[in-house]
Formats: sequence, C-alpha cells, structure tokens
Amino acid sequence: MLTLAPLAGMAQIAKIAINGAGAEGAQGGIWLIALASFACLFLGLALIAAGELAAHLADNRLTHGLRRALVERLSRVPLGWFSSRASGEVKQAMQDDIGTLHELTAHYYTTLGRAGGAILFSVVYMLVVDWRMAIASLLPFPFYYLIFGAAKKAISEERMTQFVTGQARINNAVIEFVNGIPVVKAFGVSGKAHGAYREAVDAFTKAFLSFTQPLVAPLANANAIIAPVTVLGVVLAFGTLFVSLGWIAPVDVLPFALIAPGISGPLMLLGFISHGVADGTAAAQRVQALLETERLEQPAPGTLQVPAGTEVRFENVGYAYDGQNAVLSSIDLTLAPGTVTAVVGASGAGKSTLARLLLRFFDPTEGRILLGGADLRLIETSQLYRSIGFVLQDVRLVNASVYDNIALGRPSASRQQVEAAAQAASIHERILALPRGYDSVIGEDAKLSGGEEQRICIARAVLLDPPVMVLDEATSAADAENEAAIQKALSRMARGRTLLVVAHRLDTIRHADRIVVMEDGAIREQGTHAQLLSAGGAYARLWQSGGYADAVQEAVAP
Amino acid sequence: MMRTFIQLLGEDAPIFRRYVWMAVLYGLLSGLTIAALVPVLTRLLAGDAHGSALWLCVLLVGVVACWAWRRQVEKAGIGVGIVVLQGARHRIGDHVARLPIGWFTPENTARLNHAVSNGMMEIAQLPAHVFTPVFSGAVTPVVIVVVLFALQWQMGLIALLALPVFSAVFVIAARFGRRADETYHRNAARTSQRMIEFAQAQSVLRAFNGEGGGTRFLEQAIDRQRRSGRELILLSTASVVLNSWVVQAVLAALLMVAVVDIQARLGAGLEAGPVIGLVVALLLSNRFVEPLLDVAGYGEALRGARNQLEAVREILAISPLAEPEAPREPKNASVELRNVTFRYAADQPPLLQGIDLKVEPGSMVALVGASGSGKTTLMRLVARFFDVESGSVLVGGVDVRHMTGERLAGQISQIFQDTYLFQGTIAENIRIGRPDASDAELAEAIRQAGVERIVARMPDGLETVVGEGGARLSGGERQRISIARALIKDAPILLIDEATAALDAENQAAIAETLSRLRGKRTLIVIAHQLSTVAMADRIVVLDAGQIREEGSHDGLRAQDGLYARFLKQRQAAKGWHIAATP
Repeated sequence: MLTLAPLAGMAQIAKIAINGAGAEGAQGGIWLIALASFACLFLGLALIAAGELAAHLADNRLTHGLRRALVERLSRVPLGWFSSRASGEVKQAMQDDIGTLHELTAHYYTTLGRAGGAILFSVVYMLVVDWRMAIASLLPFPFYYLIFGAAKKAISEERMTQFVTGQARINNAVIEFVNGIPVVKAFGVSGKAHGAYREAVDAFTKAFLSFTQPLVAPLANANAIIAPVTVLGVVLAFGTLFVSLGWIAPVDVLPFALIAPGISGPLMLLGFISHGVADGTAAAQRVQALLETERLEQPAPGTLQVPAGTEVRFENVGYAYDGQNAVLSSIDLTLAPGTVTAVVGASGAGKSTLARLLLRFFDPTEGRILLGGADLRLIETSQLYRSIGFVLQDVRLVNASVYDNIALGRPSASRQQVEAAAQAASIHERILALPRGYDSVIGEDAKLSGGEEQRICIARAVLLDPPVMVLDEATSAADAENEAAIQKALSRMARGRTLLVVAHRLDTIRHADRIVVMEDGAIREQGTHAQLLSAGGAYARLWQSGGYADAVQEAVAP
Repeated sequence: MMRTFIQLLGEDAPIFRRYVWMAVLYGLLSGLTIAALVPVLTRLLAGDAHGSALWLCVLLVGVVACWAWRRQVEKAGIGVGIVVLQGARHRIGDHVARLPIGWFTPENTARLNHAVSNGMMEIAQLPAHVFTPVFSGAVTPVVIVVVLFALQWQMGLIALLALPVFSAVFVIAARFGRRADETYHRNAARTSQRMIEFAQAQSVLRAFNGEGGGTRFLEQAIDRQRRSGRELILLSTASVVLNSWVVQAVLAALLMVAVVDIQARLGAGLEAGPVIGLVVALLLSNRFVEPLLDVAGYGEALRGARNQLEAVREILAISPLAEPEAPREPKNASVELRNVTFRYAADQPPLLQGIDLKVEPGSMVALVGASGSGKTTLMRLVARFFDVESGSVLVGGVDVRHMTGERLAGQISQIFQDTYLFQGTIAENIRIGRPDASDAELAEAIRQAGVERIVARMPDGLETVVGEGGARLSGGERQRISIARALIKDAPILLIDEATAALDAENQAAIAETLSRLRGKRTLIVIAHQLSTVAMADRIVVLDAGQIREEGSHDGLRAQDGLYARFLKQRQAAKGWHIAATP
C-alpha cells in the first residue's frame, strides 16, 4: 500500500502544478509531497522484502519438517507398500509435491496481503477523488473476473487428475528409461528412445493440452481486458466524456490515469497465486494421504515383548497377497537355536515369502511367528533386526562409501570392527584395492561385480552380529571366483547361529540339520538329507533330476 | 540462455523465433498505444475536447489491436511450451539413448531424471508466463524513452541512461543468486536420488536402521537441501530488493527532475503548455517504470529456468557414439577384435589391452577369468556399449563404428547380467526383442526359456504386469524373461553372460538348452561359470587383468596346469561346499 504513495503524490503535484500555478506556497508543498512519497515507497519496499524473507524462511523450515516426517512415516509402512509402487511416485510426493506446497506457504499469504492492500488502497483513493470516475475506471475489472471464473470452471477434476498422473508417469518413465538403457541399446531402434518413454511424454503432452487448451483463449481475453493499455484507454475515454459533460475538471482525470492501470498488476498476481493454490492444495492432499499411509501394526505401549532366546517358531502361518492369492498356508515350523534349516522347492513354492515373513517385510495374514517366545509384531523394530539378520539374493547397496555401506546398521562401529567384518566376508583385500579404499563410493569409483557387492552385504550382516540369520539364495549373484569367497564367508558366519537358508542348489544344503521341502505354499516334507532321500518323495526326485549325485562325486574325487 | 533454449528446441526452433518476434512486436504496439496518451492528455488538459476525442479514437484502436495481438502471442507461447514438453523431451531421450553406457552413473542418472521431469516443466512454463511479459516489458520502455525525450529532454536522458544501468544491475543481481541456485539444485537432485534409493532399497534400509543408520543418508540429504534452500532464499531476496530499489530510484530521479522543472517554470510565471507537457511526462515516467518492475519481478523465475536449461545443455553436450556417414553391412556372423585396448577414462588403467580374438561364424567361444579380468567389458565392446580406445572391433568383417546402431543391434542378441524389465506385461517385455513376432514365436521363446512356469503361476498369465525393474519377480525369473527376450530376437550372434555360478536350476536348464540347440547354428560368445558350459565350447579364452592369457580346448588347457586348471579346481571346491551351523 505504501508503495503506491508516489502515484498519489504525482497526482497531487500535477494538480498543484496546473491549478495553483504562480502561488508561492505551492513550491514547498511540492517538495514535501515528493519527499513524503518516496519515504513511503522505500519503507513499503523494505517491509515487503522483510515479509517475503520471513515467509520463505518459514517455508523452508516447514518443507524440511514435512520431508523428515514423510521419511519417518514411510519407514514404518509395510514393505509390500513399496513393491506395489514405483520409486518415482515416492520421490514425486517427497520432493515435487512438497516443493509445490512452497507456493502455498511462501507466496500465498504475503502476496495476498501485498496485492490485496494495493488494490484496496487504489480503489478507496479513486472513490475519494471522484466516485463516478472511479466506477468508470474500474469497469474492466469485473469482466476480468467473469471470464476468469468461467475459464476456471473449464478445468474439470478429471483433467486435473489426468495431468497429475501424467506427471507421475513421466517420472516413472524416466527412471525406467534410464535404468533400461542397456536393453534399449540392445533391442531398441538405435538413436530412438524406448517406446514407453516416448508414449509417456506424448500422453503427458496430451493431458497437458487438454488441461490448458480450454484456458488459452479466455485467459488471453481476461489478461487483455485488464492490461494497463486497456485500462488507460477506458479511463481516458470516460475522462474525455465526463470532462465534455462538465462533470469533472480535466486535471482530475490524471489521478485515474495514474492509479487505475496499476491495479492490473496485483490483480493478475492474485489470479496467478490462486492458480498456485489449486496446485498446492492437490499436492497437499497427496502428501497428507501419504502421511496417513497405514503403518505396520505397532505394538501398543506396554505390550512390547523382548525375545527370550533365539528359537524361531512359525505357528499355523498363512500369507495371502492382496488378501486373496494365498502364497503360504498352514506353516508350522520350529528353528532350534544353533541349527541350520534349509528351505527348498521350485520357484513360486513360497520359499522367499517364508523368509521375508520372518524378516517382517510383511505380517502373516494368519497365525503368528515367534522369536524367543515373543510375537514378531510385538517386538520393537530395532530389537527385531538386531536379532535377525539377512543376506538376500538381490543385492542392495546405497550410493555411499563402502565403509558406510558396511556400517549401515551400526554407524557407531569402530574402524577395526568394520574391517574385521569385511575380512570375515572375504572382501577386505578387494576393498583396499579400490581407488580410495574404504572411502570409495559405490557406483562411482567402487565398481564392483555382483558377487563382490554380495560380500559387502555379508559384511554388513556380520557387523550387526545377529543370532538368527536368513540367507535367501545368497550365492546367486556370484561369479565363479566369488562363489568360493562367498561360501567361505557364509560358512564362517553360520557358526553358532540359528540359520534359515533358502537354497536352489540342493548340494549346498545337504548337511543342514533339517531340510524343508515346499510345494504350492505348503510344507510337503521335512527331514535330514538321508531321511528324505530314503523316503523317496519330492526331495528324492529333485535330487535325482538335479544330477547332484555326480557333482558330489566329482567334488569328493577331483 | 537463449542459445541453449534454441538448441533444446532443435528443428522446432523457428516456432520459438516466431513467438519472440511476436512478443517484441506486442511490446512495441503497447508502447505506441501508450504514446498516443500524450496527445489525448495534452489536449484534454488544455481544454481541447474535440482534439482529445480524435486522438482517443486512435488510442482505442491501439488498445483493440494490442488485445487481438496479445491473444496471438499467448497462443504462440503455449505452442512453444508444448514443443518443449514433447519435442524437447523426445530430443533428450533420443540423445541419451545414444550415449555410451558408461555415462549412466547414479549421479548423472539423477541429474537426467531431474532435468527431464521437473526441469522441462519449468522450462515449458517460460514462454507463456515469463517470456511474454519480459520481452514486451523490455521493449515498451524503449518506446516511452523516445516520447519522454520529446516532452522533456532531461527526463528522457535519465530514462535512457537508466536502461543500461538497469540491465547491469539486473545481471549482477542474477549472478548473485546463481551460485546459490546451482548449489540448491545440485542438492535437490541428490535428494531426489536418495528418495528413489529410499524406495528401492527400503527392505535393507529398514532392517539396518538399528541406530538410524538406514535413513541417515536421506535425512542428511534433506538437511543439506534445507541449508542450501536457506542460502538461496537470502540471496534471492537480496537480488529482488536490489532490482526493485534501483527501478524505484530511477522513478524517484524522474520525479525529482519533473518537480525541479515545474518549480522553475512556476517561478518563471504562468505558461500552461510546458507545464502540461511535464505533467504528462510524469505520468509517462510511471508507465516507463512499471514494465521494468515486471521484468525485475521475473528475475527469480528466469534464473531458476536458466539453471534447468544449463543442466539440459550439459546433458546435450555429451557426445554420443558416432554414427557412420556411409554405413556398411556386416558380411557374416563372425566377431573379431584386433589389438583392442580400452579404458573408461584417460586417467584410469586400461581394462583391456592388446586383445586379438577371432570368432568364426557358427562357433562357440567361452570366456573364463576372475572378476575384473575384462570378460564383461570385452562382451560390451562387441555390442558397442563403448568405443575402443585403439584397435578395432569387427562384426561380420566390418568395424562396428562403420555400422548403424540398428544394423549392429540386429546382428546381436544379448543375455546379460543386469536384467532390466520394463513396467508392462511379461509378453510386452519379451516382445521388446522383436515387436512383430507372431504369437507362435512368442510361445516358442517362452517354452525354450522356461518362462512357462512363471506364467502358469501368475494370476494374469502372460498379461501379468511386472513392476518397475520387474520388482515382483525373483532374480532368476527376471533373467529367464530376459532369456526369452533374447531368444525371440533370434540374431545371428548371441552374447551370453552366464551371470552367476549358481544359476537356479531352471535358468541353468534354459541356458544349457539354448546353447546346445544353437550351437553350430549361431555364433556364441559366453562368459562361462558352469563347467558344463565351458566344456561345450569350441574354444576357451582365459582372461586375466585385461589380457588373453590362455586359449584352446578344454582338454588342451587342463593339461597345461595354468589359469584354466586353477579355475577348474575352484569350481570343484565350490561344488563340494555346503553350509552347516557346526564346522
């Protein structure tokens, strides 16, 4: 509001100049007005700057807090939630949607205050000078709102949704496209990006067009109506008319010619931010939805249980994906402390699901799993993962130094402990051979083979030193040389622990204390290697068809 | 900045140029219309209603013309935005698809991701929301300066001098924020990457989150983003303040000059004409400043977009693998490496050195060696994932650099370690190998690759959608689908990376069957871990530290007691391994 002072000042000066010409007193008055105007102007500017700064800083704090809250929340949702979502969507919510909220928090209120104040001041000032002229000058503005309002209605909910999903699709398509480049290069038409990416781009453009197309003409009209040029034209047209009618003096047209065009700017700004508010509200809803994602059931305070011992017991456990497709049913199984239990069976038999249930990646839909007599659901998460460690077939390392990857679960571990873990996983020497040793960053200067990465995963598990370990086809990522190294590492780690091993090669687990054969989500038979062979059932058939008898022979007598 | 924008638009650049001219013309038109204000007001204040009405008509015609033209400019601006969203995204996609695989580090991937999704969106908004007011806002004041000169030369002079001063301040203010901006965007891209990692590696991160270690990286990234966001805010506020204060100072100076002049004339006695002229000049000076303020207000948006454009420019500046001008056709299914040396970057040790290898059409070669010995690199050079540093790779007797990418890709099928499945159905993923394959061919590939069992298990069969990266299938299952993909392509040369020593039984069977069926019919190059595979090969090549150390038949090499003999011992030891809780 203060920033408009010079305009009023100018009008005043002009009036004095034309009317009071010759009067001695006018001179001092002009200077006074000019100085007062600029004092107001710069004070106003300073206040605006301060306001914007404060709002932006507050926003920065807020978005930061929100992102942290989302991390916290998503760390507690069932893992199944992640596998049914593309990682691009998660990023979209955490980064882009929260970024959009910025519009709302940082810009909306300051702009509303600034623009609203300026408009109010202008209108009041004009009304005071001459109400007839004021109404005439303001004539274009209602039209603006009419057109603008009509245009806004044209944005249907459906189009908005299409637009947003289009954006998410682009995010996913980019991730896919980039990760799939080797495939694109090998199969795609050279020089042309993969079809899915192109399709996503085209679909997004289409959604964007159908979103904006109905808006283009009305918005252009609305903008043109309140363009300063138009407003000036209107003011002058009515001014000339009123002057010729003798309603006002020619000099009284000036304040209107000065002030009225200045309303367009703030008004357009208001339109612009209300646009941002719509985006911001939609983004806020998505973030809100994410913040309310169902958590893995948390034990009520006071019901927390601490496992006594390391015995693992599956009691009538069943799991159905999406609540319908049963993957596991009626599993009863006990893992005695310090023993090795191997799970074998064809792919899809439910071996990996069984292992993942023990790791609480999901909760069973039926029955319960006990660790040391405590239901997994009642054990505090950090306690659980201190007790049960795992090495899985898909190697996941984070984009950080080798050291940080090994120390992932125990950032406070000493250098010696980390190195000892690496030695136990037979990867210490390999790490030292990297350009920056333990400080080499995975994917940057630490270029490791699948088997070597697997050994880092083993080191990571070794460092946590859990009494119970789950190994899911842990050697499958290894090449020939690595396999031996991984085997050595696993043997070392297995000593004295309770082990659940998911294996596809029967020869590796023939000395397990117990072998569980799974078929179609149920336990078909169990026993030692010798017992199962002599029983002549499913295991015996698997053993025969795998040709292991010869392999073992070969190994024994090289 | 404009140059990058035009580069980004490529062949669509004329659309943008046309739009720029339209916006400039709009600025000119607005300026002239505002200039028509001078005679209207002068006559009005002088009491000449008739003359004023006449000029008013001229002004109103100008207003209508501005209106009509503005609509065209807006349409053109949106047209440019669409070109960015579609054409430019395609162009980046096409460019990136031609880059060597080595470029795709996590850092570059994150940058690319950010540039294509958020960056393009920001750039696309530029014409419609930013360029139009900025271009016309820059042109209109120039017209007004001319008019001011005619009314009161001192004010005209100040306004004229203010223009370069103002551009200078504008540029300085922009520099102010740019560095903070760059840091912010770098941090934001890194945070985005962490978020994707957070989602993809959630299982591991959660299990290893005992002391908050799992979410630590993401949290640190978010904190860093906040800090650089703060810095950015402080600097950009400073630059906005600087801009608007300078503009307002110019307005103040104009007003002062007018006041001094008015006082001088008032002191000198009554003389209506010049005073009226001054008053009109006062009004014009306001019209002069306003568009400039608009331009200043867009400074932040412009700077943000500039960084996005810079990121895009960097991506477009990476040189892709060169395509030959006069492509040649491969003559047969042979593969040959002649004195090949390769390294990723000049400051790194060579991964392959002086490799000479000739694989006859229809023969099978097994590559054996420790990890890091160069097997995978050798295979990738054949498929031209990279270009060699010296020497040459020939497929069908023709240097791969003299072949089009399509021709080379048509010669070679690959079954590689990094299996990536696209979001889509199993059938779609297999058909990537040959989009026009018949259903019968699809069924055959599925049978041969052992995908039948996966399909039978899935509720929607072949139409089951596999998630991002095929997340809902096991590693072995993913690989079997990639085997089917390679089989359906049925190219004369097949490159197989056996991937792991411990393939699951089904995969091993699928690969073994493939090898025995295609042996003698296709050229096979296999990175072998299985003894059975190695034994099948016509020739075994043993690599060590980027060089070929041994070459020959299974029996011949076994007798030598060299690297190969050691490899055999290792394999046998691994076969005898088992796991047990007690040693």
